[in-house]
Amino acid sequence: MRPGAEPKDGDIVRAVLAGEPERYAVLVNRYRDRYARYAARMLGSADAAEDAVQDAFVRAYDQLAQCQQPDNFVGWFFLILRNRCFAERRRSRAEAPLEAADSVAAADRTDGGAETAERRRALQLALMELTPDQREVFVLKHVEGLSYGQIAERLSTSIPSLKMRMHRAYDRLREQLREHT
Amino acid sequence: MSGYDFHPLVKQLLDGDLTLADLPVELRAEGEEALRLLTAVDRRPVELPAVTQRVMQTLASRPAPAAPLPPVPAWKRVMQPREIRLRIRPWILAPALAIAAALMLWIWPATLATPKPPSLVTVRFVLVAPDAREVSLAGTFNQWDAHATPLVRTGSTGVWTATLTLPAGQHQYAFVVDGERWVPDPGAPAVDDGFGRRNSVLTL
Repeated sequence: MRPGAEPKDGDIVRAVLAGEPERYAVLVNRYRDRYARYAARMLGSADAAEDAVQDAFVRAYDQLAQCQQPDNFVGWFFLILRNRCFAERRRSRAEAPLEAADSVAAADRTDGGAETAERRRALQLALMELTPDQREVFVLKHVEGLSYGQIAERLSTSIPSLKMRMHRAYDRLREQLREHT
Repeated sequence: MSGYDFHPLVKQLLDGDLTLADLPVELRAEGEEALRLLTAVDRRPVELPAVTQRVMQTLASRPAPAAPLPPVPAWKRVMQPREIRLRIRPWILAPALAIAAALMLWIWPATLATPKPPSLVTVRFVLVAPDAREVSLAGTFNQWDAHATPLVRTGSTGVWTATLTLPAGQHQYAFVVDGERWVPDPGAPAVDDGFGRRNSVLTL
């Protein structure tokens, strides 16, 4: 490694496994925000996203020896976070989604005006009414900006299957937005 | 299917595969409604600056993850002794013993039968050694005794012969020329005797 170059994920994973646990902070700093938005939109709350990302990093650390491809730590970490988000939604399904959507929208009252904030809030509420599978494909495509091909690769699924989920999501969102406006 | 379903072409518009201009005129309004939906998507980044400190604080009280042990080679897994515990109900042994007894009765007469004597085969050994003063045969059939089985010179042609009756099976042997030179049979296959010499092989 040349001086000043950023160490690769694989090098850090191997260093942690070799007895340098403090190096794990480099990975946390590197990826804590990359999927924070995904978690926030999946869970409907920045606070819930923070808990989920933190838990996912701790779980990844505990299972680090099982990371088959240390150079693709981030892909492996994403799957752990995704499982955490799905589990969280199952656990808190009974909780009122309105509160969660409020917390997402609350921060943007000063950014773009009340109308924008209200439309964002309405869409986030509608997103929370989708199944996690439907919500995830919507978030990855329209929030994270990934193509169907990239999503299919990340989730190890087919593009037609993703499109089917997404098209159902469009219909459900339209229904939710019409009913609540 | 509900009354709120977007037209399939509008879904393609949302997917980014079509533009509003690609839609038929009667679908433009539905297309505009769909695109308004996407303008409400919140793409602002979410930052979690406190996560690093919280994660590292949590990890401080946990054991360090250990590197995985190298995989054990398959042959070692096979050779490693391991304990096998069997739980057997006694009554299960009854049919097993009955089958074993039946097998014994079936096999017993065959094992008691008098073994047949091995069949015997008469073999003629020949070596051409015109300069030899004496030639003999040593092998598994005479405990490698170099003097036990002499060959006889036939006429003045230098051909030495011996005729033996041996049991069927495989035998190893060599000719011993003038009591000191061990010569494999040039007309038979040979194997290494493990001491640097070649023994001829005869299979009857």
